Amino acid sequence: MTGGYFEIQNISGGYGSGRVVRDVSISIARGEVVCLLGRNGVGKSTLAKLACGFLRPMSGAVQLAGVEITGKRPSENLTLGLTYCPQERVVFDDLTVAENLSLMRTDRRLDEFEPYFRAFPRLSERRGQYAGTLSGGEKKLLSFVRGLSEGSAMMVIDEPTEGVQFENVVRMAELMLAQKEAGASFLVVEQNLTLVDRVADRIVIMDHGEVALSAAASELDRQQILAHLTV
Amino acid sequence: MEALLFTQGLNVVFEALILAMLVLGLAVVMGLLNVLNIAHGEFIMIGAYAAYIVQRAGLPYWLAIPAAALVCGVIGLVVERCLIRPLHYEPFETLLATWGLGLLLRKCVELGFGRGYRSVEIPIGGSVSLFGESYPAYRLVLMVVAALVLASLFVWYRRAPTGARIRAMVGNPVLAEAVGIRTRELARNTFITGTALAGVAGVMVAPLTPVEPFMGLTFIVNSFFALVVGGMGTVAGLFAGATIIGGLQSVLSAAVSPTSAYLAMLLISILFLWQRPRGLFPRP
Amino acid sequence: MAYFLVRSLLILAFLILIPPLLGEFWAYQLGLYFIYGLAALGIGLAWGQAGILPLGQGMFVAIAAYVTAHGLLALGSSPIAYLALPAACVLVAVLAFAFAALVFRGRFEQGPSFSLMTLALTLAAFQVANGWSRVTGGFNGLRNIPGLPGLDGFLDLYYLIAILLGLSIAAVDYLLHAPIGVLWRATADNERRLAFLGYDVAVIKAAAFAVASGLAGLAGALYAPQQNLVTPDLAGFAFSGDLVIFAAVGGRATVLGPVIGAIVVGVLSAELRDRFPWWEIGIALFFIVVVLRLPGGLMTLFVPLRRLSFTRTVTRARSVAPGKPRIATSLSVAFEDVRVRVGDVTILDGLSVRTGEEAVLCVIGPNGAGKTSTLNVMTGMLPRRGGRIVIDGADVLRPEPAIVASKGVARKFQTPSVFPKLTIDENLAVALWAGRWRGFDLLRSGLFGWTSPLLEEMRRRFQFLDDGTRPASALSHGERQILELTMALITEPRMLLLDEPCAGLSHEETTAVIDAIQWARGELNLRVIIIEHDMELVRRLADRVVVLHQGRFLADGSVEEVQRNPEVRAVYVGGSR
Repeated sequence: MTGGYFEIQNISGGYGSGRVVRDVSISIARGEVVCLLGRNGVGKSTLAKLACGFLRPMSGAVQLAGVEITGKRPSENLTLGLTYCPQERVVFDDLTVAENLSLMRTDRRLDEFEPYFRAFPRLSERRGQYAGTLSGGEKKLLSFVRGLSEGSAMMVIDEPTEGVQFENVVRMAELMLAQKEAGASFLVVEQNLTLVDRVADRIVIMDHGEVALSAAASELDRQQILAHLTV
Repeated sequence: MEALLFTQGLNVVFEALILAMLVLGLAVVMGLLNVLNIAHGEFIMIGAYAAYIVQRAGLPYWLAIPAAALVCGVIGLVVERCLIRPLHYEPFETLLATWGLGLLLRKCVELGFGRGYRSVEIPIGGSVSLFGESYPAYRLVLMVVAALVLASLFVWYRRAPTGARIRAMVGNPVLAEAVGIRTRELARNTFITGTALAGVAGVMVAPLTPVEPFMGLTFIVNSFFALVVGGMGTVAGLFAGATIIGGLQSVLSAAVSPTSAYLAMLLISILFLWQRPRGLFPRP
Repeated sequence: MAYFLVRSLLILAFLILIPPLLGEFWAYQLGLYFIYGLAALGIGLAWGQAGILPLGQGMFVAIAAYVTAHGLLALGSSPIAYLALPAACVLVAVLAFAFAALVFRGRFEQGPSFSLMTLALTLAAFQVANGWSRVTGGFNGLRNIPGLPGLDGFLDLYYLIAILLGLSIAAVDYLLHAPIGVLWRATADNERRLAFLGYDVAVIKAAAFAVASGLAGLAGALYAPQQNLVTPDLAGFAFSGDLVIFAAVGGRATVLGPVIGAIVVGVLSAELRDRFPWWEIGIALFFIVVVLRLPGGLMTLFVPLRRLSFTRTVTRARSVAPGKPRIATSLSVAFEDVRVRVGDVTILDGLSVRTGEEAVLCVIGPNGAGKTSTLNVMTGMLPRRGGRIVIDGADVLRPEPAIVASKGVARKFQTPSVFPKLTIDENLAVALWAGRWRGFDLLRSGLFGWTSPLLEEMRRRFQFLDDGTRPASALSHGERQILELTMALITEPRMLLLDEPCAGLSHEETTAVIDAIQWARGELNLRVIIIEHDMELVRRLADRVVVLHQGRFLADGSVEEVQRNPEVRAVYVGGSR
């Protein structure tokens, strides 16, 4: 299981003493998009947090480009090229849209966000508005743009399309594929098959904190996935 | 009568501005970082002693400002490293620890300077005639300086990325780490800024009040309740709290007595704590 | 009980025997520290047990001291003067209870605000004491207060103080080991859980504050004759702060800690004061070190002493808890056009749904559908912006956890909500007492022996519940889920609300929990509403399924009907959102 660009190796962990994720390993190659699927509460988000340094794993390790990053702070991981977009509380509510984007830049110019603004004109219209007043879907778009614009080689995105309308999901997929062409890798926690169908190279399905299924996207048909997801 | 009202109005503005200056450091530390720094008054007191030393040494008075900021900043650095961070910025634990710290600082200053009152001379004497009423020049200068400091901090806080990053870190610490803010360092620097600002406020009020080791106690009480009434972590809250508490003190002290002004402040604070514990303008 | 008596007598003997050995001066000094210790003992109870930090106990000391002073001044050498002591005590206890009950009423987690309010009150009291010269003697205070009639010299008074301190320690010790003590620790641990079991949390907390203030009152009542002088300084916030320091330094979580803190700091100060001019710096550093390094206070160093005041391994006779008055039918609930908004976000958007004939109703829906919010608004944890909620045929205008619980609704939360610092037995006991205790039951330790057939059955099904002395924090996630379920069940509710009861459980545990739910449903004629994502579980449990989507009712029916519904399939896969 070595040789991947982003390696999650036998990770277990959770909140406090609760073990939500049990011995999960996922390896992601350069330029690969892995979609992580599963019903609510099976530990997908927890796995993402464990992988990115927001939770300390009880056991297991994480490697990025051959460098061990287990236990490193998220801000440090970012400098190493690991971006994370959370599932909840995705933007800074009491900052404006523009501030949310320019927060970590010394100049306050938004020029380089123009391509994203063209894709999502709604965000551009709202740049002076407090992010807290955006709808859930708009917040997700803002968070997605923030993450993508960091230009990291590895991105972990937790449910980017929650509440996002169909056309915008398609544009998100296009933007991701463009980044992927440039060599970026993705781990996307997702419920929405619209996005998964368009971007996934490989699909990992989790159940009860463990990996239930891992296969190339081309090998799985929609029915098999649905069987794992729907009621 | 009109002239009296005018002077009275100026006094209200003065009290509100000075209180806002005194609260500023606490607003940063308590309002932004949620650290109940009970020793805030002692940092003001140390700033006042810095002014005293500078004046005694025959140096220009304004030099006291960087001196106080430096001394209080360094103490703040040590306190953050040895007390606040080990206690994980927990409100309750830091309240206890800074209570002890306040005791310690008071006694250390007492050790160095004795219990007695020291007086700092007003660096800018004389008075200015405004619409036929004379008003002390130093008070006017203080008002202008306080207004400038507060306004520039307000603008800086709104515009500079650091201000936004502090807001970001406090509002959503997890996301802040995710976007690359080094929250530990930012929290430390914010804490130091708060203590340094307390020192600067101490320099400003030193000529107006007897300088003694226990002077911080009155300041902490007023500052604390101004924040409680105004609301933590917002500029609007800081100004509202300072205006209500400072203005009330000024008007009631003049009209009735300082004691009733103080009691009214406590009563209002209790009502706020009970019915509106997050203040008038709380952080969203 | 014998243990308790022996320990109390030991402490009392110790207190009484010291002064003859040390002389009159120390009798005076120790007497004063004991008085401080009385007030600190109360702070330990309120803060260390019930989680309420009072920052202004000096005010209560002062009020009682002034009242006693006036009593003694007026009555002089008449033995009636002794009545001033209990009068002062009761007066401040009643004041404290009224104030706290008012503040805590209808609010949760008011802790920091309450502490600051007590601080503001004592600051105000200081001003009043200074200004109201006619009654308080103003800045100089009341002077030349006569001693208590019949007591000559410091030694006599010392004995009285020592006896009262010993009795107070014994009383506090008794309270903390009685059911009320467990409830106090439970409020500090998890106020919400306690309210959801049907307890009046405001009254429980106010009672702790009242006892604490009563002890402060006793301290004040003794202070007046001991010092023959009462000044406003008693109400000053420095003194209130000192009392908190005593409790923190000694160890607030223990009975003896605060008293020992008062004595140690007092003696240390007295000794250092004469030898070093800057002794207070030492005290301040000492305090800071204790906060940083010994969060449990000095008592963590005196393990033998702690044993003396804590361990009590008494096996109590089991007795069957009194039955609960029960209505044998299950409870119905109806939502009519219920709207909930938090800020700008709409959470429930005109939800209308009602229970029918079914016993087990499963609520499903994608993320953010408003499933948990539905339970929250029903139990008063979310404010409603419109619509009606009807429970058992009656409109519930202002739902509150305790009110809903008293109607017979028990709730198990999504993340297990138990009392982590309490033991398994205590967790179960708190649930079992709920709605069953009467009168002064909460002072009777016999309640610890209570059990019920339902509890016994759950113990049989889940072996770990028998390991009663383990703290709940040491349990695994799954065990905590089961503990909470058991707690909800043994209140013998008419309706049980379960929010993902099997999240984080293994397959065996899941099966066992489903069996238990089904068994209890039959036993109690219970209606169960379950929020669940696991369709396997829904299939096994549900008589009827309701699907929510974006805060609205989407569909209902049997499991198969819902699964066939194209609308339901659409919202789950998300393609056509």
